[in-house]
Amino acid sequence: MSATRHGTVDELLAVRDGEGSGWAREHVATCRACAAELQRLEQVRAGLRALPAFAPPRDAWPVVLEAARRERRRRRFSTWSGVAAVAAAVVIGFAVLHRHASPAPEDVALQQAMAESAAMEQMFESLHPDRRALSGQAASVVADLEDQLAQVDAALNDTANWRGAPDRVAGLWKQRAGLLSALVDVHETRASVAGL
Amino acid sequence: MADTLPLAEARSLVARARAGDFAALEQLYRAYERPVYTLARRLTRGADDAEDVLQETFLEVCRSLKQWRGEGSLWGWIRTIAASKALMRYRREKLRAWEPLEDDVARQAEDVPLQMDLEAALARLPERSRAVVWLHDVEGYTHEEIAELMGMTTSFSKSQLARAHERLRRWLGAGAEQ
Repeated sequence: MSATRHGTVDELLAVRDGEGSGWAREHVATCRACAAELQRLEQVRAGLRALPAFAPPRDAWPVVLEAARRERRRRRFSTWSGVAAVAAAVVIGFAVLHRHASPAPEDVALQQAMAESAAMEQMFESLHPDRRALSGQAASVVADLEDQLAQVDAALNDTANWRGAPDRVAGLWKQRAGLLSALVDVHETRASVAGL
Repeated sequence: MADTLPLAEARSLVARARAGDFAALEQLYRAYERPVYTLARRLTRGADDAEDVLQETFLEVCRSLKQWRGEGSLWGWIRTIAASKALMRYRREKLRAWEPLEDDVARQAEDVPLQMDLEAALARLPERSRAVVWLHDVEGYTHEEIAELMGMTTSFSKSQLARAHERLRRWLGAGAEQ
């Protein structure tokens, strides 16, 4: 590479960004024209960073809020309705299998856990959790509980679990009822504090 | 741009928003609406496109809040969503092949030395060049990150940046950028 030529814009930008070649860095140190061009590139960058921000001409928050509400309803409905569909299929299956016989104790335990979960879910929905403002700590607890609930729902939506480990399924339903109960507690506490 | 929210506050607001607290979601929106809109204005052709990007960005934020782990800057995460939404428009527009025309317009104008201010010169750049300049020089993205966002190569990003600065040099005139 010739030592007499000047640096290209590409080479000088690389020097400005701390990535220049050895030749370019040495050249800029000795060439006044390239040093001036490098300084100009730095000034342009500083000028760009100092340009004022734009303010949106219209408030988009109402649109975002409505979409967020729709998304939340959709997510809750799709997750829980999936679990409910699997549960309904299994209950029908049990009913067919045990039409002429007393249900096995594990089946009774499973149906009890499912009924408990359904009751808790109904109670939780009656609190209208979407409409409540939560403190940072309560919100963190709710987010954690909802994450755990999503994991349990995912396990329950996996039909392989139902076929392969019926005992575990009853345990999952109990866990689900417990998580919903905890969610109810958090929201009820908040409601009583807020006088709702 | 530095993050407008301290990390602890951002974590708390995100946790509340994830739990369905729309007041917390609004606080997040208010904290970032200007920076997102400004970024969108710099990366798109005008105010209407930027407003669309603002909405699309926050709808994506609502859908994906769980993906932010609370470890890095919240603004960095939201900014990448906004940039992706804005740049997605290039890909759609590219299918309609409008960009060569825009480049031709800029080429016709660039022979004339001008004394523009920086705002006007930036606005005059072709859309993709302007996006590369803004993402690299202002937002601090690397050429590799820009290439990934735009679906182009690293050398494309570098050459767009160099061409844009050559044009800015001509349009601004000596010392006009200060």
